[in-house]
Amino acid sequence: MKVTIIFGGKAGQGPNLLSEVVSRGLLGAGYYVFYSREYESLIRGGHNYNILTFSDKPVYSNESQIDLLVCLDNNTKSIHKNQLKKSGIIIEGDKGNMFYAGSVFKILGLTLESLEQVLKKLDKYEELFDETKAGYNFEKRKIALEKTKNRFFNDELINGSQAIAKAAISSGLEFYYAYPMTPATPLMMELGQMQMNKNNKHKVIELESEIAVINASLGSRGVGSIAMIGSSGGGFDLMTEALSLAGMAEIPLVIYLAQRPGPSTGLPTYTGQGDLNLALYSGHGEFSRVVVAPGDLCESLEKTNECFTLSEKFGVPCILLGDKHLGESKSLVLEKPSINKVEKNKIWPAKFNSYEHDYNGIVTEDVKMINQKFEARMKKQKNIELEVSKLETYKILGNRNSKNVILFWGSVKGAVTDAVKDFGIDAKLVQILYLEPFPEKIKTELKDAKNIIIVENNSTSPLSNLITQKTQIKIEDKNKILKYDGRPFFSDLLAQEIKRRLK
Amino acid sequence: MNKQIDNIPKKPISFRTNTIPTWCPGCFNFQILAGTEQFLKSQLEKNPRKEWAMVSGIGCHGKMFDYLNLPGLNALHGRSIPVALGMKVAKPDLNLLVYCGDGDAYAEGMEHLVHAARYNSNFKLLVHNNQVFALTIAEPSPVTELGYKDKTNPAGVKLQPMNPIKLMLASGASFVARVFADVNQIKQVLEEAEKHKGFAFIEVLQPCVIFHPDSNYRLRVYNLQEKGHDKSNFKLAMEKAEEFDYTSNNSKIPLGIFYQKEKFVFENLI
Repeated sequence: MKVTIIFGGKAGQGPNLLSEVVSRGLLGAGYYVFYSREYESLIRGGHNYNILTFSDKPVYSNESQIDLLVCLDNNTKSIHKNQLKKSGIIIEGDKGNMFYAGSVFKILGLTLESLEQVLKKLDKYEELFDETKAGYNFEKRKIALEKTKNRFFNDELINGSQAIAKAAISSGLEFYYAYPMTPATPLMMELGQMQMNKNNKHKVIELESEIAVINASLGSRGVGSIAMIGSSGGGFDLMTEALSLAGMAEIPLVIYLAQRPGPSTGLPTYTGQGDLNLALYSGHGEFSRVVVAPGDLCESLEKTNECFTLSEKFGVPCILLGDKHLGESKSLVLEKPSINKVEKNKIWPAKFNSYEHDYNGIVTEDVKMINQKFEARMKKQKNIELEVSKLETYKILGNRNSKNVILFWGSVKGAVTDAVKDFGIDAKLVQILYLEPFPEKIKTELKDAKNIIIVENNSTSPLSNLITQKTQIKIEDKNKILKYDGRPFFSDLLAQEIKRRLK
Repeated sequence: MNKQIDNIPKKPISFRTNTIPTWCPGCFNFQILAGTEQFLKSQLEKNPRKEWAMVSGIGCHGKMFDYLNLPGLNALHGRSIPVALGMKVAKPDLNLLVYCGDGDAYAEGMEHLVHAARYNSNFKLLVHNNQVFALTIAEPSPVTELGYKDKTNPAGVKLQPMNPIKLMLASGASFVARVFADVNQIKQVLEEAEKHKGFAFIEVLQPCVIFHPDSNYRLRVYNLQEKGHDKSNFKLAMEKAEEFDYTSNNSKIPLGIFYQKEKFVFENLI
């Protein structure tokens, strides 16, 4: 059983809160929930919507066809009614979002008591219960759900940004520097809110530009405090000169790069995976880096923690490569993440230098010293590769023995795993977690494949090029499933695309 | 990673590394280096437990980093200020000397300079203003005088130079001073800045002996404090800032502290 709902309305009408309330009700009744949000680059008006998919089994993505359409304005109906299944229900009228929260609870057979509890937990009970109750009592329609015996120990719905924030704090974060840029800002907001908790010691500092942000973080880390920064493509571009400085000065640095479609300002509030090459190759000169792309919440927690560990151990910039879909979609963390204590490297006091320098940190132009320093950096690269090879650098999911391989990285994981699981596709899934250093041993997972399909949220498939470069295996163009409209994959449509390629 | 050094110096101490300076003979950077050294020595006598560090940018001034035996970061061109801010935020007790050139502070890193005045983080900024991009061989900077010629612009500079003292005053800097590149003036202004809690902007007028020699600056300068200037008067400070426009060759050039008024300090607000 899988049910999908769209909540749509103008910015300010509150489709987001409505999704949260309904999701919590569903969790309480034992259903797994996944909801994503689509919003435009404006503050009031326009068309915002959330897509919620729930099931009695774990769910990690949305489907394109919907069972229930909740319209907070007329626009929502005209935009989404063609996605409605034949049996689908439309909720519309001139009431507010909380009235319809009541309607949805009633339609899904959730109790009024559970709605009361959700509102209490959100501290919205006093102001909102009467309205929701009216909606509940007014509504007469029903969608029959299969009963479930699931009970969740953890009932906290979080998004990728929240997962990264939690892991950064667990890793000893002291300063988070940023300049606001969607979709990295949700991490800044989350860390900002978490400052209010007295147990957390970190501070969020907004500076005048991304250039200031990265240089300040190197200053803070230089004198001994663990720092992290975050931005999206354009802001990351501005940081890249200092990324190279981090490589030369060997100061630990963790950067969250939250992708949205470019080029240039592109589509600020949408998702994409167009910045893989930016993460891999930005910055002048030759220096080591780590690029890791979590695909779900548990991985967001674990890989963030690994970024801090690696950057501290090797004094290397670590780029945590996420995107809007991962950063803003909410579900439960179903596995227990493995988070390790980060050993802070004692590097202060010392002289750090942007020039080539000797072991005292003083500028050198001496041939012998230059060679030594280049060789030291090459050796460091080998050491990083060795250390990373001990971590989970890729995952094999699905049928390990299948001759059909589906390759992917990052947030498309949810749609790929749901497509394969729910639509009966026989395939071995290969998820690349570490893009740099690249796990070249995945070649053994690919060499016997009959079909290799690649799924990416971009138009040029940088992962295909990387795979070819590292394994000499070429991915045929017809086997590249690429989506570049700023929206994430839907599992049902993706399943059709995969099946078409496997024929 | 680099070898750690002790930045809480013990006597006897030299604030100089063993590195032999590569500045040109007679370069005024030697004055700034020696002035800093003398300042640090007097500070050490007063309080041996103070922890010192430095940040520098890129240009001739940046070589200070190799000659001063202090920990810190020789930053990217124009980016000394945000590095310094990050250091102060993480370690508010650090005594921090920040060096920039006129390229760093007035061209590539201008945004940071303006915001440094706004943040008012407690560090001292010395801008080695030789009115030229010396290390890249004599190109004009934003404070080069009208009519200046070099190989890259044989027709001569056509723009009026900016006035950094006015800019800093307008940006809300809490300590605005100008000195000439002279050992005693450097030491004295650093001692005044040391007493100030907040961002201390110190412009050092520094002839470049090769590309921008001192025509007659030393004949034209006078000290504001000796003339009884009221450094708490913002309007007066602005007037004094306008006396020298970085182009004229006959106006008086005021030195000393134009303006000083303490306000909140960024790292104490966090």
